[in-house]
Amino acid sequence: MTRNDPIKHFFIWPALIIVLLISIFPLVYSLTTSFMSMRLVPPMPARFVGFGNYADLLSNPRFWHVAGTTTLIAFLSVGLQYLIGLSVALALNSRVPGEGIFRVGFLLPMLVAPVAVALVARQILNPTMGPLNELMTLFGFPNLPFLTRTSWALGSIIVVEVWQWTPFVILMLLAGLQTLPDDVYEAAALENATPWQQFRDITFPMLLPISTAVVFIRLIESYKIMDTVFVMTGGGPGVSTETLTLFAYQEGFKKFNLGYTSALSFLFLIFITVIGLVYLAVLKPYLEKHK
Amino acid sequence: MRKLLLASSAAGLLAAAANGTAFACDPDFSGVELTATTQTGPYIASALQIAAKGWEEKTCGKVKVVEFPWSELYPKIVTSLTSGEDAFDVIAFAPAWAPDFTDFLAEMPADMRQGAAWEDIAPVYREQLMVWNGKVLSQTMDGDAHTYTYRIDLFENPDNQKAFKEKYGYDLAPAKTWKEYLDIAEFFNQPANNLWGTAEAFRRGGQQFWFLFSHVAGYTSHPDNPGGMFFDPDTMDAQVNNPGWVRGLEEYIRASKLAPPNALNFSFGEVNAAFAGGQVAESIGWGDTGVIAADPKQSKVAGKVGSAPLPGVDEIYNYKTKKWDKFDQVVQTSFMAFGGWQAAVPSSSTKQEAAWNYIQYLTSPEVSAQAAITGGTGVNPYRLSHTTNLELWSKIFSDREAKEYLGAQKEAVTAKNIALDMRLPGYFSYTEVLEIELSKALAGEVTPQQALDTVAEQWNKLTDEFGRDKQLAAYRSSMGLPQK
Repeated sequence: MTRNDPIKHFFIWPALIIVLLISIFPLVYSLTTSFMSMRLVPPMPARFVGFGNYADLLSNPRFWHVAGTTTLIAFLSVGLQYLIGLSVALALNSRVPGEGIFRVGFLLPMLVAPVAVALVARQILNPTMGPLNELMTLFGFPNLPFLTRTSWALGSIIVVEVWQWTPFVILMLLAGLQTLPDDVYEAAALENATPWQQFRDITFPMLLPISTAVVFIRLIESYKIMDTVFVMTGGGPGVSTETLTLFAYQEGFKKFNLGYTSALSFLFLIFITVIGLVYLAVLKPYLEKHK
Repeated sequence: MRKLLLASSAAGLLAAAANGTAFACDPDFSGVELTATTQTGPYIASALQIAAKGWEEKTCGKVKVVEFPWSELYPKIVTSLTSGEDAFDVIAFAPAWAPDFTDFLAEMPADMRQGAAWEDIAPVYREQLMVWNGKVLSQTMDGDAHTYTYRIDLFENPDNQKAFKEKYGYDLAPAKTWKEYLDIAEFFNQPANNLWGTAEAFRRGGQQFWFLFSHVAGYTSHPDNPGGMFFDPDTMDAQVNNPGWVRGLEEYIRASKLAPPNALNFSFGEVNAAFAGGQVAESIGWGDTGVIAADPKQSKVAGKVGSAPLPGVDEIYNYKTKKWDKFDQVVQTSFMAFGGWQAAVPSSSTKQEAAWNYIQYLTSPEVSAQAAITGGTGVNPYRLSHTTNLELWSKIFSDREAKEYLGAQKEAVTAKNIALDMRLPGYFSYTEVLEIELSKALAGEVTPQQALDTVAEQWNKLTDEFGRDKQLAAYRSSMGLPQK
């Protein structure tokens, strides 16, 4: 078979059509829906509203509030995940005794379903039956409003996110650390470089590509946070811990406001794309420098 | 000859067996397979499944129970109904969805609407919640009304009685009014002893608004103005920010301060756990609280669980005159929170006779009574016989507990002044707005009046969006009022 053999079309097109049907059609359908007023409850005939849904959303203070809340949770939790993850990965990479046990132990949280983690967290933070507040009471401290006051609730959600997803960061950074060449460190040792200098000038720059990827993946995933918030706070008190996906769920599955929900999904997509592009643009000079 | 005898005997046995089968199938629905749908079990779905086994044995028919998660149930049913497809023969659904379903439901056969079993259904269900525009379109299969639960041991402790009388000037007893309810909660709010006043659901998405409705129903359900609790039934203007609602919300917020710490995160499950765990002196909620608290396996207060109807009021806001009307006697208003799951037959079903027969069996006095005392079915009393059969309930309650529990349940569904829950197209759009503002008011971010003003504005906006005339017609039907 040559490069120009028409038989190639016989093999390529079916696969291409299937891929288009599976991946593009839902997006196109959803995009079309986002320009319609379409409600299942109460059933109302669909009508074209142009950018009406988008305009409604952009002028809705709740949208900007949930976008801000999601950004806060995503940036704080991913920042902490990276700091803790890098520290633990460095420790594990230095061949501490019992490293295998630590490695398995640190990875366990990542293997648990987020909804189960949230349920456990909710029980731990339970005001009267939860062990954390019982411990506080034992030492004479007052019960803390972990899930019912905005700042505490946001803090609790971030802590749970960090607990669950830091292992992913550890896993990726540890893999990166283990691929770094030994000879660079040997040369640095000959030059009497201190461990801090080795970290600052060798480890961190060489880890930068994988660090960028890990933070990027975690950032995107954190923006999609829903189950943890849904179980722990339900978005409350009020809407103070509501995230973009939870907002979309409320609109889509409780109110069945499909046009509005589709518009929200596309704004979410644009939001994430912009954040991703800005993130990569900011880091590009550093990545180029250490190529 | 021997062969002939054997053959005759075999034929005789077969004929007898065949006759036996025919007698067993009463009525005979051999070869009929019904498809029933409801939410994912165990609640309600297990009641359908248990009844399906009995019905299959009785009629030789088959029932396939198809379960969907709560969030998917509505779209699945509404899609099949509006498309006219014969997907389900029986649907078990939340009463709030009725306005969207009624155009597509078959009327209950006349023979089911007569006799002792029919009369046994509590009138509020038989005459109001099962009826839409004068037609009986569904059958209640679960009763849902809020009642009051209290700790007998705490209330009858002589020291508590003495101290309470000294402080409040009247005897400590199950709350007759909402004021007494809050006094009692305040009296027993003793965190140092790991005891708090009351427990209610305050969590957004955790059934919170039904608990607010119970407080509000007393102050807004004027006996002279039926159906005026949520909207003005003449204009469809939201009533949610009138002084009766504001007072109800203020008391609901006060109750949250007399509840265990972090009660703002309580859904009904936590309310039951708090009461059964001996953490609170009283609570309001569905009948599940009493059943769970009476079970020694789940409860620290088994044998000490008292029940009573919801507290009442001696003044009610009249939305027509815009004044508070005083009453000489306490008016006890029962609130039909949620309203109880309904079973119905779509008009598109080709097996309507068998489907109604299955519903009749499912909700028969005997089968439904067993479901009501079986944990996990989610079925609460809705027949008068459910509330009178002490022997049945003595399996899970002591005599006194059973008498009080059944008395409260009976009173809840037969009270003179009953407030029906809101049932409107777009129900969740209305309740979501309320939940958000309610949570803000509970957190102290806005005042009760501010919260309810916002809700009223949003409700009016939603009503206009969905069509005021259409919503008004649905609201009047849901409240049992004639069309204008």
